[in-house]
Amino acid sequence: AEPGAAPSCPAQCHCEEDGIVLSVDCSELGLTAVPTNLSPLTAYLDLSMNNISQLQPSAFRHLRFLEELRLSGNQISSIPGEAFSGLYSLKILMLQNNQLSRIPAEALRDLPNLQSLRLDANLISVVPEQSFEGLLSLRHLWLDDNALTEIPVRALNHLPALQAMTLALNQIWHIPDFAFQNLSSLVVLHLHNNRIQSLGANGFDGLHNLETLDLNYNELLEFPGAIRTLGRLQELGFHNNNIKAIPENAFVGNPLLQTIHFYDNPIQFVGQSAFQYLPKLHTLSLNGATDIREFPDLKGTTSLEVLTLTRAGIHLLPRGMCQQLPSLRVLELSHNKIEDLPSFHRCQRLEELGLQHNRIHEIRADTFVQLLALRSIDLSWNAIHFIHPNAFVTLHSLTKLDLTDNQLATLPLDGLGGLTHLKLQGNPALAEPFAKESFPKMRVLEVPYAYQCCAYGSCSGFFKVSNQWEAEDMSPEDEDLHKRTLEFFPGHADNHYDLDADDLQLDLEESKLHPTIQCSPSPGPFKPCDHLFESW
Amino acid sequence: VHPNVSQGCQGGCATCSDYNGCLSCKPRLFFVLERIGMKQIGVCLSSCPSGYYGTRYPDINKCAKCKADCDTCFTRNFCTKCKSGFYLHSGKCLEKCPDGLEANNHTMECTSIVH
Repeated sequence: AEPGAAPSCPAQCHCEEDGIVLSVDCSELGLTAVPTNLSPLTAYLDLSMNNISQLQPSAFRHLRFLEELRLSGNQISSIPGEAFSGLYSLKILMLQNNQLSRIPAEALRDLPNLQSLRLDANLISVVPEQSFEGLLSLRHLWLDDNALTEIPVRALNHLPALQAMTLALNQIWHIPDFAFQNLSSLVVLHLHNNRIQSLGANGFDGLHNLETLDLNYNELLEFPGAIRTLGRLQELGFHNNNIKAIPENAFVGNPLLQTIHFYDNPIQFVGQSAFQYLPKLHTLSLNGATDIREFPDLKGTTSLEVLTLTRAGIHLLPRGMCQQLPSLRVLELSHNKIEDLPSFHRCQRLEELGLQHNRIHEIRADTFVQLLALRSIDLSWNAIHFIHPNAFVTLHSLTKLDLTDNQLATLPLDGLGGLTHLKLQGNPALAEPFAKESFPKMRVLEVPYAYQCCAYGSCSGFFKVSNQWEAEDMSPEDEDLHKRTLEFFPGHADNHYDLDADDLQLDLEESKLHPTIQCSPSPGPFKPCDHLFESW
Repeated sequence: VHPNVSQGCQGGCATCSDYNGCLSCKPRLFFVLERIGMKQIGVCLSSCPSGYYGTRYPDINKCAKCKADCDTCFTRNFCTKCKSGFYLHSGKCLEKCPDGLEANNHTMECTSIVH
C-alpha cells in the first residue's frame, strides 16, 4: 500500500502487506510520538531514527501479531512499565541508541517470546536483579557501549535460553567467580574494550557451551586461567592486554580451540607445553616473547598451518619439528638466534619460510629437500657463506628467494629456474655475472653490482646514452631506446615485498612493454658499470 | 572542512556531501555504504542492514557480512536467522538437524524431540 493510502497505514509511513500481516516503516520521519492508528495486523514496526522521547503506557497494546519492534535511534530515557504489555508475539525489540540509564525492568516483564533484545549504545549503569526475569525465551542480548562498571551477575541468573551476549565497550574492571554460572546455553560472550584487570579463578564456571570468548582490549595482567572450564571453546581473543606470561598447560581444558589471538601483549614467557594438544588450532602467532629460548613443544597440535614465532631467543630448531607439524604452510621465525637449520623435508606442505635476521651460516643439501610446495624463502640478514649445490634442486614451486646481506661468494643455480624474485644485495663477494638463461621467468632482481643487471638488457644502447649524457642531441631512435632503457631500470625495487603486492606488480608490468625485468642497482652516471670493464 | 562537505545533513550524518551522502556519522551510529546503481552513498544507521552484523569499537562502529547461509546474525559465526532451506541450531545453519533433534519446518529450527 502506498504511504497513507490505506486507513491502517499511518501518515508518511510506508506499509507493505505480507500475507495477512503488515510491515510498517515509519523510520526517519522526525516523529515525536508513536503513531496511534497502527493496524492490529502489524507484524513489523520500524520507528527508528525519529525524535521519540517518551512511550505512551499502552502504545502497542493491540498489536498482538507484532514480532519485531524497532525503536532504536530515538531519545528515549525511560520506559513506563506497561509500554510493551500485550506484545505476546514480540520476538525482536530494538532499543539501541537511546538515552536509557537503567534497564526498563518493569516494561520487559511480560514478553514471553522475546528472543533478541538490543540495549546497546545507551547510558545504562544500573541493571536491577529482576531485569530479565520474564524473558525465558531470550537468546541474544546486546548491552555493549553502555556505562556498566560490573557484570550484572544476579540479573544474568534468569536467562536459561541465552546464547549470545555482548557486554563490550563498558567500564567493567573485574569478573567475579561464578559471574555467568546459570548461562549454560551461552555460545558467544563478548567482553572486549572494557577495563578488566582481574578474573576469578572460577569466573567462567557454568559456561558449558561457550564457543567464542572475546577479552580483547582489556587490562588483564595475568593469563585468564578461568578459561580451563570452557571445554567447547573454539575462538579465544585476549589481544591488547598486559599479560606477560602464558603458563604451562595454558589451554589444557580447551581441546577444541581453533583460533587464539593474543598479539599486543608484553608476553615474555611461554610455557613449553602451553600449546600442546590443540588438534584444531590452525594459526599460532607469537611475536616479541624475548624469554622464549626454546622452540615450543607442539605435541598433539597437528593441524597447525601458520606458525609465527618472531623476535624471541630461539637458537635451535628441534629435529622432530616437522613430524609434529605435518600441515604447516607458513613458518615465520625471523629475528631469532637460529644458527643451524634441521632438514625441513617432513614439512611437506610448507609454502612460505621466513628465517630472516637469524645467524644461519650454511644451507645443506637436505635442508629444503623435497619441499615441492615451497614458494618463498627469506634468508636475508644471516651469515650464510655456503649453499650446497643441490640445496634448491627439488624446489619446483620456488618463485621468491631473498639472500640479501649474507656472506655468499657463489650461488648454486640448479633448481632456481622458476624464480621471479631474487635478492642478493649485500653479498660483496658475489661478483659473478648471471646468464639470462639461468632465470627465464625473472621479474625482480636485486644484485650486488650494477653490471650484473646488464645481463638483462641492451646495455650497449645504454652506454651510448651514458657516455654522451646530452639528452638534447638524442635522435628519435635514441630517445625511444632511452625511454625503454629507463623503463628497464626504473630504480630500486621495493625491498619489502609481500605476495599480493608483487602479483599486482607483475600484472602492471605485463600490460606495459613485454616482459621487463626490474633489476637493481640500475647502472647510472655514478655507477657507470665500471666493474663491467674490469671483469670483461 | 572541504568546500563540498556540508554540515547541515540528514538523519545520523555528522558530515555529508551532495554526491556521496554521509561522509561521517554522529556518535554510536553505524556507517554503511549503500549502492544505488553505479553510485555508492554513505548512510548512518542505528542497526546494520539485513544480512550484516554490527561491531562497536571506541572509535568506529562497523557493519560486516553474515555468512552466506544466514539472513541475520550476532557475529559472523553466530547466526540468529538462517536463509530458507536451512535449520537454525545454536547459532549455526544446518541443512539437516543433528541426531537427537528434530526439524521444525514452521520455525525452521532444530528442536528437542518431544516424546
